[in-house]
Amino acid sequence: MTTLASQSTSQQTGPLVRLTIDGITVHVPKGTLVIEAARRVGVMIPHFCYHPKLKPDANCRMCLVEIEKMPKLQTACSTLVEEGMNVRTATPVVNDAHKSVLEFILSNHPLDCPVCDQGGRCDLQDFSHQYTPTTSRFIEIKRVFQKEYFSPLIETQMNRCVQCLRCVRYCNEVMDVKALAPVGRGTLTEIKHFGPHPLHCEFCGGCVQICPVGAITSRLSMYEYRPWMLKRADTICGYCADGCQMTVQTKGQELIEVNSAWGAGRNNGDLCVRGFFGFHAVSHPARLTHPLIRRNDTLTVATWEEALAFIAERVSTIKQTYGGQSFGGLISSRCTNEELYVFQKFMRVTIGTNNIDSSARYGLLNAVHAMRAVQGVHRWTVSFEDIVAADVLLLVGTNITETNPVTGLRVKEAVKKQRASLITIEPLEPSIEPISNIANLSSLHCSVPSTYMCNAILGLLKAVVENNWIHADLTQRHPTYVRDLSEALAPIKWEALQATTGQDAAWFAAAAKLLAEGQRVVVLTGQSLLRQTGGYGNCLNLFDLLLLTGKLDRGGCGFAPLAEENNEQGAIEMGAAPEFLPGPCDSSARTERERILSSWTSDTPVAGGASLVEMLDQARAGILKAMFIVGENPVASLPAQVRAHDALRKLELLVCQELFLTDTAALAHVVLPAASSLEKAGTFTNTEGHVQAIRPAIEPIGESRPDWEIMAALSSLLGTPMDYAESRDILKEIREVIPGYGVLGPSPMMPRVEASAITRYLTDSYRHNLGERYRLLPHQKLADGTLQLELTHSLFHSGKFSAKAKGLLLVEPEGTLRISPRDANRFMLNNGDRVRLSNIRGEFTTTVKIMPRVPPGWAWFPNHFGSEVMQLFDCTIDPVTRVPAFRTTSVSIVKVA
Amino acid sequence: MKAEYEPVTKEATPSSPTPNGRTMPQHEVILLKNMMQPGYGGSLTEYERAGGYQAIRMTLGKMAPSDVIAAVRKSGLRGRGGAGFPTGVKWGFLPKDYQGPRYLCCNADESEPGTFKDRQLMERDPHQVLEGIILACYAIGAESAYIYIRGELVLAAAILERAIGEARAAGYIGKNILGTGVNVDVWVHRGAGAYICGEETALLESLEGKRGLPRVKPPFPATHGLYGKPTVVNNVETLANLPHILTRGPEWFASIGSPPKSTGTRIFCVSGHVKRPGNYELPMGVTARELIYEHAGGMRSDKPLKAFIPGGASAPFLTPAHLDVKLDFESVAAAGSMLGSGGVTVIEEGTNMVWAALRLMEFFYHESCGKCSPCREGSSWLVQIMRRIVAKRGRMEDLETLSDLCKNIAGRTVCAFGDAEVAPIQGTLKYWRDEYVALIREAESANLIMPKPIGAQQHSSR
Amino acid sequence: MTLSEKYRDEIAAILARYPVKRSALIPLLYLAQREQGYITEEAMIEIAGILGLTPPQVYETVTFYTLFNRKPVGKFHIQICKSLMCALVGSDSVIEWINTKLGIGPGETTPDGLFTLSLVECLASCGTGPMMQINDDYYERLTEEKVDQILSDLRSTGSSQLKSGPFMWPEPTKT
Ligand SMILES: Cc1cc2nc3c(=O)[nH]c(=O)nc-3n(C[C@H](O)[C@H](O)[C@H](O)COP(=O)(O)O)c2cc1C
Ligand code: SF4
Ligand code: FES
Repeated sequence: MTTLASQSTSQQTGPLVRLTIDGITVHVPKGTLVIEAARRVGVMIPHFCYHPKLKPDANCRMCLVEIEKMPKLQTACSTLVEEGMNVRTATPVVNDAHKSVLEFILSNHPLDCPVCDQGGRCDLQDFSHQYTPTTSRFIEIKRVFQKEYFSPLIETQMNRCVQCLRCVRYCNEVMDVKALAPVGRGTLTEIKHFGPHPLHCEFCGGCVQICPVGAITSRLSMYEYRPWMLKRADTICGYCADGCQMTVQTKGQELIEVNSAWGAGRNNGDLCVRGFFGFHAVSHPARLTHPLIRRNDTLTVATWEEALAFIAERVSTIKQTYGGQSFGGLISSRCTNEELYVFQKFMRVTIGTNNIDSSARYGLLNAVHAMRAVQGVHRWTVSFEDIVAADVLLLVGTNITETNPVTGLRVKEAVKKQRASLITIEPLEPSIEPISNIANLSSLHCSVPSTYMCNAILGLLKAVVENNWIHADLTQRHPTYVRDLSEALAPIKWEALQATTGQDAAWFAAAAKLLAEGQRVVVLTGQSLLRQTGGYGNCLNLFDLLLLTGKLDRGGCGFAPLAEENNEQGAIEMGAAPEFLPGPCDSSARTERERILSSWTSDTPVAGGASLVEMLDQARAGILKAMFIVGENPVASLPAQVRAHDALRKLELLVCQELFLTDTAALAHVVLPAASSLEKAGTFTNTEGHVQAIRPAIEPIGESRPDWEIMAALSSLLGTPMDYAESRDILKEIREVIPGYGVLGPSPMMPRVEASAITRYLTDSYRHNLGERYRLLPHQKLADGTLQLELTHSLFHSGKFSAKAKGLLLVEPEGTLRISPRDANRFMLNNGDRVRLSNIRGEFTTTVKIMPRVPPGWAWFPNHFGSEVMQLFDCTIDPVTRVPAFRTTSVSIVKVA
Repeated sequence: MKAEYEPVTKEATPSSPTPNGRTMPQHEVILLKNMMQPGYGGSLTEYERAGGYQAIRMTLGKMAPSDVIAAVRKSGLRGRGGAGFPTGVKWGFLPKDYQGPRYLCCNADESEPGTFKDRQLMERDPHQVLEGIILACYAIGAESAYIYIRGELVLAAAILERAIGEARAAGYIGKNILGTGVNVDVWVHRGAGAYICGEETALLESLEGKRGLPRVKPPFPATHGLYGKPTVVNNVETLANLPHILTRGPEWFASIGSPPKSTGTRIFCVSGHVKRPGNYELPMGVTARELIYEHAGGMRSDKPLKAFIPGGASAPFLTPAHLDVKLDFESVAAAGSMLGSGGVTVIEEGTNMVWAALRLMEFFYHESCGKCSPCREGSSWLVQIMRRIVAKRGRMEDLETLSDLCKNIAGRTVCAFGDAEVAPIQGTLKYWRDEYVALIREAESANLIMPKPIGAQQHSSR
Repeated sequence: MTLSEKYRDEIAAILARYPVKRSALIPLLYLAQREQGYITEEAMIEIAGILGLTPPQVYETVTFYTLFNRKPVGKFHIQICKSLMCALVGSDSVIEWINTKLGIGPGETTPDGLFTLSLVECLASCGTGPMMQINDDYYERLTEEKVDQILSDLRSTGSSQLKSGPFMWPEPTKT
């Protein structure tokens, strides 16, 4: 287990084929299409229906070329290169064919370019100019479709459709949503949804992006612009941790449109609804535009000078009276790496405390601690490309479509295009809805309540051990580890496993066999597991699975926990946690600490430091006197039981840097308006650990300023100046502290597992809480009239920030309680009914939405709107990782009038 | 109803002198033989009594599948569905070493205007078709066959279902046929109203439950057919020939018709202005004249023949000058048309050929699946011009546009539908251009050249 | 009642014929159309569920094929072939005749809901035109008298003896 094979997966080069295109000789890999080979030598063959992401359909016939020895013209988009092929793309015959096909396509196409949003970037317009057809010979009456309302976000103008079916094919092949239907036949074919119903789908915007003409456009930017009026900024989406590259187009300070080019970014041109339609959150009228200071118990507008001076003065006093340890800092992992870095440095150096935490505490830290414990490195050792190249994928509690939709596309690609076997252990029922459901693609699906996911993992481990699919090398080198695990699993009964997971020994054996026999096995996990009680132990158990089957140190194999917010990985790596200095290095490890402190020329407080919930406890206890909270809203994000509100109210100083006046900011003594990610530069680290640059698309709104600027200014006032002229200076410093951090290349450099760490784990540290993590969670019967409630993510939102985006609100304006059709029947509920959920902790009224994907007995509540639901939850703290878990609870449900 | 029909009582005479005095060689009716026996009902017992299912007994387990393919290749049998591709050669394209399922699809979509032979073969002698299907399955190693039958043929589908039941009960269909270890299951799958589903890849799409859009080829069905598996698609009549080839030998078959390239008989479906329309099975190479004047009884009235289609709506019109063209693949092609599906439509003097072309164009417009632009847009453009010309709103430039559009569609579409849809216009423009001109002259003199809104019309049916 | 309740065995038998579920789509749509003569939205949704398709996937297929109705049609759906071969022998006058007899044009339904008239393309009866299909049955070599008879038969008894049996033309010689 010492050889660490890690090969690059991105480019597999097969045998080359030589051909000539317009006299130019070109060598391309076997399996290349003629149109792609031509592109390589700069020969652009006109096309509509071809798209590199889609399987060839060759329906538009625009790309006809002459190929020597073939009797008819061939479509370059569907013809594979062959050795010695001689292709001509500009002979009189070919030109004539292009002209004539264009003439056909234009025959029914309206001449409405002046009012078409595609104008200026329309393939049809471009080719028309290129082939300059004289005045049209078409004097007949053009086909006219009746205008129908299509959807709140997407507009169709079917008269413009050239029927290339790119939209339909994208929706099916890439998204697996299958919401678009080509209806009718012949010239009267039009793209619709279902009957007269308006489109209901994931609203990924893919059809808008991929339509080569103006047949499908975004309603958010209708008639507002011509492409040449717009300024473009390539940046990274600020919602989830997939880290999609997008191009934000603006007119002055106005955000017009977002899109993403094929070939660009880790998302390769794909976006989800949040990226494509969610950009208006930052220009919401409620944005804070001025600093606010609490005077006579009301927040009143102040100047920056007043606000900063006020803070500096209070900080000095409190620090003098109670010391640095009376401060705490909490920062959102939506901030840039630069901001996170400056913030922790500010707290540690300027204030002198290790009480610092970020929203990565809510889940990802469970995985990071497990990664450090087992594989040494704290981040993924596989990339998105490895997901696509995997032959076996295991998903455990990812809720991937909703939480990490674009990583979800990579999984879909692996299954649909590369024929990977997918095993899913998810609290999800397979279902046909216009939002894709990953369980539909699964070859082995275990629909298990998220609380029992831990048992399903044990089932896999048990099946590996019982069938002796343990990697021979491992048994030989670490017999104690293998024996201890086997012994821990022995008492677990298959019956008990089946009672809680619904699957029997045969199912687990089938899944374990796939995992054991897979060549490239990637295990993905996500919020349902990471935010659950025992999340840390379950990550270790998944590692055990990889170790037992001999996969962990195999090239193309690895463990990939999915972060939720855009920069959770960065927050941890920047050291925005009490246990970590930038790196992340263990804040209690002496040499590392000294190296970093010397570069800061400071002596940060000794190890220790309170985490998120501990800080609130200390505040309530009067130990913590002041807090800096940047972009976080603990009042709304934590269960009522944590009493964040009471805690913060007791503080002598609460400074909030925020975009909006949140529940938490409303309690602050000073509120500072912060710039959003569309208004600043910096870097984000996505879930796979790839560091990517963000760039401002607009100027900061009002007087808002990037968070790092605020902290840098305060540090000067407090006598420990951090002089950065721009965000890039901070990145430079980060790179000094974390050598080589964030090579801003097009694709990430994946680290390898550390052999020494693995050995350490296998010989000793696996013993830590082994008994506990190998204990079966017994079946608990639900009381009549109750449901298990789980806080989940909606595809249409991200955090609470997205609830400010007008586009997203059009699709999902409020939180609804998702229940299964079976439970709807049981409780006699219909869509839209109001229900009251209650338990001993409190009650909460909401609206019902029936979704076939919800497992019976469960109800999901996406947590993006307000905080009321939080009063129903209990909170447990992981003893090792200090992660608060409040994912599930049981509630009784009654219908209210 | 003005149309008058002569009662048909006389069986087609095997041999009689043609008007020009030549004598056709004696011919034997092969496919229609059973059903021409009075009282033949097409049941299993009747079929067996007539020698049916002998081919299976002689072949399955007794002859290697590769030998069956070789025999069929030797017989010279060519597809009767339209393209006339040699059947044995097509079977030979299936991958030899492929493990996994293969499929046979019997193309019973019969939707080509002018063609109505498969319907008769299926309704009158279903077991002959089934035996052919089983033989083909054996030859190509398929264990499942689907008969894709056009949705309108409800009766034929029911008759086939019944026959399959009988054959299954008798052990000709199902697992371990007649103890030979050969398995073949046959299912009837009804289409639902789309001419294009006769095109073999559209048929496969439709059979997979999708819209019947032709696939881009390559890959061909032989390697990537139904569900992506190796598949053969054969026409009903093609398959019905197999039992006879295997019982009587490929040499016998190859001697019929006009060897070496067009062997066997064809069932010619004669329609239009003849006295005795109907299906006539004759050796390939019979002249159009003999077919029309001898077998189909000649023109229905005293009006002479003006035009005829030799092979279904997709075949360009021919003229009286072509009456002595031999109806075999090569001769008809040499005459500028095609033998296609064997539908011979006869048109008498006095019929406006522009109108006739428009009628066919309306068909193609209605049936264009819409997948590729030249066909989709071209068919709607062509039909609109044709409607205008017939409605006396044409312009002289239209003629050039028409022939240009036809030229731009042919050979540039995903499937052969594109070539088919331009055939009527190209054929009529070639021989009866004066009729177009006359209509346009009328339009010009009446100054009626503005187009009439017809583009927004919905499909006529349902 | 849902289709699955009504046709449980038949649906199972259909599904058993195909290795890939989606192939059962057209057969199931025929089931859905059997009783009401057209395919409702509920039926499409149910079939989508049975086959693991989205409703739009069912819908796109339904709309491609002319034999599926998405609106109610008359009890007797008259479909007259208007293609060239039938037109040569007088299909246009049959259309006119039906028009005068029933007072409906193409695409229309009689007020009593009995008859709907559609013009269709070639139905593989070119040698025995003019012809029409009414529901599942073919009627060939039509004359005015024959049409009258068929319509009155259908009105009175719901079926007509004039429909075609197993097809053969020319007819075998009777002895
Ligand atoms: C537009 C179009 C329609 C066709 N319709 C039919 C048809 O109805 N029946 C048929 O047997 N072949 C039809 N064909 C031919 C088939 O594509 C295919 O060639 C045939 O089924 C092969 O069988 P064979 O080799 O036995 O003739 C059609 C082809 C095209 C291009
Ligand atoms: S709407 Fe656009 S993408 Fe879709 S088929 Fe039409 S032209 Fe193509
Ligand atoms: S791009 Fe090749 S046919 Fe459309």
